Parts: sequence; structure tokens; C-alpha cells
Amino acid sequence: MKGEVTGAAASRYEGRAKVTGAATYSAEFKFANLLYAAIVPSRIAKGKITNIDAGEVERMPGVVKVFTHLNLPKVYKPTNDFVTSKIYEERLPLSDAVVHYGGQIVAVVVADTFERARAGAAALKVTYAEEKPSVDSAKAEYKTAPGAFGEGPEFKTGQFQKGTFAEAAKAAPVKIEATYRTANELHAPMEPHAIIAEWADAESVTIHEHTQWVAGSQRAYSEMFGVATEKVRIISPYIGGGFGSKALPWPHAIACVAAARELKRPVKLVLSRRQMTANAGHRSETEQTVRLAAEADGKLVAIAHEGKCVTSPVEVFTENGTGVTPTMYAAPNLLTALDLAVQNVPTPTFMRAPGETPGMFALECAMDELALQLKMDPVKLRILNETKSHQRSGLPYSAKAFRECLETGAEKFGWAKRTQQTRSMTRDGLLVGWGMAASTFPGQRFGASAKVRLLPDGTAQVLTAANDMGTGAYTVVAITAAQSLGLPIEKIKVEFGDSRLPDGGLAGGSMMTATLAPAVVGACQKLLAQVKAENVEAALDILRKSGKAALEATDTAFPGEEGKKWHFQSWGAQFCEVTVDEAIGRVRVTRFVSVMNIGKVINPKTAASQVRGGVAMGLGAALMEEGAWDKSTGMPVVYDLAGYHFPTHADVPRVDVFFVGEPDLNFNPVGARGVGEIGITGVAAAVANAIYHATGKRLRDLPLTPDKLIGG
Amino acid sequence: MHNFAFSRATSPADALARHAATPNATFIAGGTNLVDRMKSAIEAPAAVVDISRLEFRNIERLPGGSWRIGGLATNTAVADHPELRKEYPLLARAILSGASQQIRNVATVGGNLLQRTRCSYFTDPAFACNKRVPGSGCPAMTGFQRSHAIFGASDSCIAVHPSDMCVALAALDATVEVLGPKGERKIGFDEFHRLPGASPDRDTLLEPGEIITGVVLPPMPGAKTGVYLKLRDRASYSFALVSVASVLEISGGKIRAARVALGGVAHKPWRAGDAEKFLVGKSPTEAVFKQAADLAVRDAKPLPGNAFKVELARRAVKRGLTVSAAGGGVA
Repeated sequence: MKGEVTGAAASRYEGRAKVTGAATYSAEFKFANLLYAAIVPSRIAKGKITNIDAGEVERMPGVVKVFTHLNLPKVYKPTNDFVTSKIYEERLPLSDAVVHYGGQIVAVVVADTFERARAGAAALKVTYAEEKPSVDSAKAEYKTAPGAFGEGPEFKTGQFQKGTFAEAAKAAPVKIEATYRTANELHAPMEPHAIIAEWADAESVTIHEHTQWVAGSQRAYSEMFGVATEKVRIISPYIGGGFGSKALPWPHAIACVAAARELKRPVKLVLSRRQMTANAGHRSETEQTVRLAAEADGKLVAIAHEGKCVTSPVEVFTENGTGVTPTMYAAPNLLTALDLAVQNVPTPTFMRAPGETPGMFALECAMDELALQLKMDPVKLRILNETKSHQRSGLPYSAKAFRECLETGAEKFGWAKRTQQTRSMTRDGLLVGWGMAASTFPGQRFGASAKVRLLPDGTAQVLTAANDMGTGAYTVVAITAAQSLGLPIEKIKVEFGDSRLPDGGLAGGSMMTATLAPAVVGACQKLLAQVKAENVEAALDILRKSGKAALEATDTAFPGEEGKKWHFQSWGAQFCEVTVDEAIGRVRVTRFVSVMNIGKVINPKTAASQVRGGVAMGLGAALMEEGAWDKSTGMPVVYDLAGYHFPTHADVPRVDVFFVGEPDLNFNPVGARGVGEIGITGVAAAVANAIYHATGKRLRDLPLTPDKLIGG
Repeated sequence: MHNFAFSRATSPADALARHAATPNATFIAGGTNLVDRMKSAIEAPAAVVDISRLEFRNIERLPGGSWRIGGLATNTAVADHPELRKEYPLLARAILSGASQQIRNVATVGGNLLQRTRCSYFTDPAFACNKRVPGSGCPAMTGFQRSHAIFGASDSCIAVHPSDMCVALAALDATVEVLGPKGERKIGFDEFHRLPGASPDRDTLLEPGEIITGVVLPPMPGAKTGVYLKLRDRASYSFALVSVASVLEISGGKIRAARVALGGVAHKPWRAGDAEKFLVGKSPTEAVFKQAADLAVRDAKPLPGNAFKVELARRAVKRGLTVSAAGGGVA
């Protein structure tokens, strides 16, 4: 059938450009007249700036100007919601003398070379009236969290109640209660955050900045600088990893655009790896308590999941770990709560599966603890308690194949050979542990548009202001267009990342494919229909006879009413083998099987790669990633890639990825629910559960470093 | 902007002369740590003298069975040297457990000895640090201490030396050969690195203007079964929480000589002298190794943030000795 997207494995559309260096990233665009900006991070975590000696730095060779809270040109507050525009930190940069966290930008030095800008920034003397910061989460004051992600309570919140947890739990024969902790995780994409802003005149600007949301960036900058939307051009053809940290403007980027307008020259600002610690977002640490109560047969009767997280004084961002719980397992009595503390820490933000990642660590470890208490296989416990509908919306799940994920994973992993007793499996003198956990992430989509152009040479172009942060979106769009038109993939040219193209939607919430693919299919179908062509050959005939340069069609696809009938959710199962050298506290993950149910898999190659990347990132959270602030001064003490450990190749075993289930055609015409984030969820729990199986030691405090393995 | 003079030395005498010509000059060879420190603005030499082209890069057997490794031999050259690998396998294992292949390809032996602590209060000039600015204070004392010392620290500094290779060299009783304005001298490896005391700004006994020309390894029969074990937060490319280099010489069922050095625990590679003395004359049994391990950490003075290191070090020593006695190899 024409228009059907069948799932052909294709290598990356832009792979050659990336490995040969032909792909141009934000910092690499060339300008003859370029100025360089360097931020000055605050050296205190709380207090006020009492003096800045800008004059001394402005007299340094090559320094053009020092921007501070005293002289940054006017920037307007944007609407700051997900419909219109949004920025990461509600406080605008350099808007007053107050310092809210260590590393906050207190000045921006602009010079004629990078080195001179950096030297000026280092030389700037800033005097502070320092106050005692609060960064120790154990001593924080928590209050009930408002909605998640800095939005109102209607958006998505961690608070929910049905039934009566306390009474139901009291009567239940089997109970567990445990408290879990997850660490601060720093955003550390390979490409540091970078921007070049060039104003053609005071009303018209071109911004070269990686963005997961081209149209959102365009609207945010247009609002902040009081210029018409179409006078802001965003250019973002490539993103060197985003993971949630490149979706919205950060303070450094806003300051750079303001500086460029004032100086009437293009200005480039690149954060150093060290500066990214405080200025590119992190995932807040969490503390979560899970209480489960079940009948003797394993049927859950009550679940309570209560969590805590931390935000900065200048943005309400909640790491909503408890919001996922009503999604997973059926229980007549359910209680979730989420508390938030404001501390003098940098602004946290979205990081791959925000909420689900820490939430599924706690819930899926708790399920393992319950299975043990019940002497029941943990896979069976999950199957037994599966819910067919979402317990908040009450809507049935569409195209759910959770059970198939669990069963396929068990089969591929060889789970039946697992002995249930802890410390019962060994190999080469090491303890061996097998653990598993479930995965989940919502199926979400927004609106997006795409333009398709068929050319007389038999090639077609897809034009859309979408983006590819390394996920495979270019390739997925190329496959979708190729199959919709009936052309070989080599004949498709895809252009992304320019706000002059039709709005390609947001690459966040795992939505890019689900949002964009229907628009691409729609545009291809429209193109053929408008010349009444049966197929692409007929359309090409018509085009060539017409003498026109191209046939073109644009389509916009939005979700319809389907969300009132169905709840869309992706599912998965993670199976993990660890070896533990108990005497020296050494854990190695030696085998991993990940089975995902994401609806239609458009490109098995890049989709599997997304899942593998999620697993690798999950292993980091499980075993090593931890950002930290000095408890006295509040300044970051883990701020480079030597100190912030994420997995090396030696830490990641072969990861076998399988996809199960059917296309979710209730969700969108392509049936794809997206795959960006689900792969990380459940990974840390699978590792912790495997370590428990190996050692009999239940570790609930991430990351599971050697000191915890040998601890009492 | 901090400008500095750069020049390349053409001979050892030329290197010394160039260094002497400018106050606050420094030598550079591989530069893998110095350049990082300069970029982080924690060091600002007025002159940088490149000695990387000087001849001190040979690895040679000396009469009597010792080996001399040139101070400018790269870490990779040492780790890949077939005979050194055979005679002192723990040295190659220590080197290969540190940094990355790219870094080891340019990093030199002398530079490895002279690398400075990665204490996060030292490497960020926003913090006070007695090592960087004597007398300014040490926020690590009440701060983030995961990587810090459990032996030999002082009231002014609790930083640790980051090298893996040096831990092996300490266990191998190496001697450091030095050339300076006052001529040549030799420094025993255990003396070469200092404890912080009241002057943590000085890491070693090296005087300004001195160049490490070589490191000499004495013949050591037990070294063939010697072990380097590194425990850390990930499998590769991270500094040791604790490491151990152990060498046992066993004959007739008795331990004739024992050398145990610990890394990641002190301002210098830390020789566990009491454990070594205890081991000599004993049978290589599990009970003996356990007692030796207990002795190795007996005088540890952990901080609230690194108390785990005592137990981790104890276990590492026991494992290192056990594997050494069993014929060496990967611990």
C-alpha cells in the first residue's frame, strides 16, 4: 500500500556529513566581523553584587564591552509557556544584583578574540555581599510541589489519590516500604552550549543556536527582543546531543543576543564544559518513599509513592518522579505526592525521561522487593498487576504490549534459568545477578508542518523546521517520505533546522517522530493528489510536461480527538546481568536485553540505537553519575568530565534491543509513538535488582559506587 | 590575557639556561596536565621551555640488571615495552589503568611524576586552596572529600597524588634521576613526593630548574608476579578511589621480601611499611594477608567524606597480596 511506512533499516541520513566534519554545528558558522563573548560566573551561591569594576576590564586589549546588570539592554519577559514560548530560567539574565546560585552569570565580557574575552572575564573584579547558601538537600524545607516542569498544576503533577491507602494497606497481608534516592545528574552533551547572534539591523536577527524546538526558540527570542516573529531567524541544522538541555533559551544565550544587538556586530558565546555545570541544566536529586501492599497472591491493593526534589530560586522545575506511578500497576488504592524545595542550586531542567527516570527507579526496585517478599518471580508479579487503563484518566491504553515486552525479554535473556535465591549464581569466582525492571514513557504529539517538493530530476525535498539531535530524525523523515512517495531513500533530500521552513515541532517528550511523520505522510499524499497522480512516476510525468520547477505540497498534522478515547503510552522491559566482585566492591554489567513497545518502528536501526543510548545513560545513573555542590560555599565541586563520570565503552556491555507490539494507529496515521526517552527508564532499577540478586544487598541510593557495595 | 614566552630547548644545558633566564619559568614535555592547569588559570608561568626534543627518552638495561627509563619516554612507550612488561608487569598495568591512549601517547614519565592533584578545590580558582595560594585556606577540610587523603594529610591540605604509574614505581623501589643547575642528583622514589605538611604548594623535592632525566628500576625478582589493582567509580578513565601495587618474593614457602604501595590515599604514593615488615618471613596464607591488610590501614585517619576508603584500601591490599602470591596477573 502506498503511504504505508514499513520500517526499513536505514543508516543515518547525515552520518557521512557528521563523520567527515561537513556538518556545521552552531559554534562553527563563520563571520568576518565576529565578536566573542565569555560569561563571568558568580563565585558565591547566595547574596548580592555590591560592585563590579567593569572599567578596568574594558581597558584591556581587545575588550569591547562588559555587560552587567547595570547596563544590559532591555529584554522583555516572554509569555513563558509551552504553547507560545518558553525559557529555561524565569529570571532574565543580568536583570538585578541578586545571586541565587553558584556559577550564575554575573557579567558577560565581549572582545575581539575568544582568548581576550576569556581573559577579560577572568580578570573582572566582582565584589559580593555573601549570604549563607542552602544546598544540602537533607536540610531543605520542602513544600507541596506545584505542577511539573514549571507549568501550572493542570499540566502534570505528582499529587494524586484514589481510594484510601492507609486503611487498605493496613489490612493487606504483604507489605513493603522503602526509601530510594537518586543523585543530581549533570547535562553533559558532547557539543557544549553555543550561540552566534547576528542582527542585520535593530529589528532583525539571525540566531545560530542548536535547538530542540526551532519555532519555540523563534517565538521566545521575538518576544524577548520585541521584534516580529518573522524577523527572528533560527538556524539549527545539527545538534550535538540535547537530552532536554537544548530545547529553550538559557540565560547565556539571551545575554548574547542582547549584546549583539547593542554592539551591532555578530557575537558568539560558547559555554566551557565547566560553565555548563551551572548554566546548562541538571536533573535534580530525588528522595522517594514507596509503600506497596498486596494480597498473598501478589495482587496489589495499595500503592503510595511520595517524592521530594529541589529547584533553584529562579525557576520552578519539578522532577516529577511520582507522576508515573498511576500509569504502571493496577491498585484500587493509590496515593502519590511530590514535594519541592527551593535551594541555592543551579536551575534544574528536563533530562531524558524527566520524572520517569527517577520514578521508575524507585517503583521498579520496590516491585522487586515485593516480589521477593512474596517469593514470586518479578516478571510474573508485573504481569499479574498490569493495568489496562490509566488510573488517573481512566482511559484505556491503546496498542499496549507490556506483557509481550516482559515475556519476550524473559525469553531472549534466558530468565527461566535464573535461580530465585540471592547469591546463588556464580561465574569465575564472581557473584552473578540477574535483575529486571519495567520501562514506560507517554506517547505524546504536538502539531507540525512539512513541505514536500518533487523535482523533475526524480528527487524530492522535505522541508521542515524540525531538528535532529543525533536521534535519527533526518533518517526517519527520509524513510517516511521515500515510502509515502514510492521513491528510493537516496532520492530524498531533507532540510531541517531553519525557522523559515514550516514549523517542524518540538524534539522533546519523545515527540519528534510522532509529531512530524504524519505531516510528512500528509504532504506526500497531498502532492500526488493535487495532480491526480496514481503514483510518483505519473506525478513526475505531469511535472515534466508542465515545465514547472517543482510540484509542492505542505501539510500540517495535529492530534485530534483521539486523546479523549485513549491513553497513549509506550512500554518496555529491561533485563540485566551483573557480576559482582564482592570483596573489592566491583560491579560490571555484563549483559543487557531491552524490549520496547513503541508502536510502529520506522527505522529499526536508529530506533535500536536510541534505546542503546538510553540504556548506556541509565547505566550511568545507576552506577556512577553524581553532580555535587560544596555544602559550605554552594559552588559546584564536580564540574568536568574527569570528575563527572558517565559510562565509558568499558562500562557498557552488548545491549540487545527488540521491538514488540503493533503500530498504534489510534495515536497517529503512522502508528509511531516515539522512542527517545523510554530506553533510559527502568535501567537503574534493573541494575540495582541484579546487584541485589547477586549479593543479597539492597542498595537504594544512586549511584551504586564501590563504597556502597562494600558498605555495612 | 596572560602571555608567556615559549621556547624549545636544544640541549640539556640549553634547557637549564633558558629556565634560569626567566623567573617563574616552567618546563613542558607532553603538557597533558600543565596545559590544563594553565587553561584553568591555576598556573601562569612567565616562560614555558619545551624539553620534549631532548634525548632523555631511551629505555635501557643497565649493567647489573637495572633498567633506566628516560624521563621523556612516553607513558605508552613504557607500557608497551616488551621486556619491562615481562619483568615489571605491574608497571604496565598501572600505566594502562590511567588516562586514555591519546593522553598516554604524549604524556612522559617525568610529567607523570610531576602531575598535580585533581582535588576539585585546587583545580577551580574560585575556591581558596593552600596548595594553589599558600595560606588561603582549605575548603575541602569541611567539603567534598570523596577523593581525598586518609594518610599523611595535614591541617593545610588533604589532597592526593593522582598518578597510577607512581604507585607502581614506589613499590618497585625506583630512583629518580635529576639534572639541575647544581648538577645531577638521585632521589629515592619514596622521598621524591612530599607530604603536604605546612607547605602543600610543594609536591616534590624537585628544585626549580631541575629536570627529571630518568627513573631507574632495580632488579626485583618478585616483580614478575607483582600486581596493580585499581578501584574506581567506572571501568576506565577515572582516578583511583584506592589502588595498590604489591610485590612479593616467595621462596621455600616463605615471603622473603614484600612491597606494598597504595594510591589515591595520600599526597604521595603511600608505602605500607608496617605491612611489608610484618609479611617478611611469614607464609603466604589468607590469614597473613588479612593481617597485613589490617596493618596497612591501621594508621589511616579518614575524614567524614572518605571513611569508606579505609575498608576499600584494606580489601585492595589483601586482594593484591593474594593475587601476587598466586603468580600475579590481573587482580
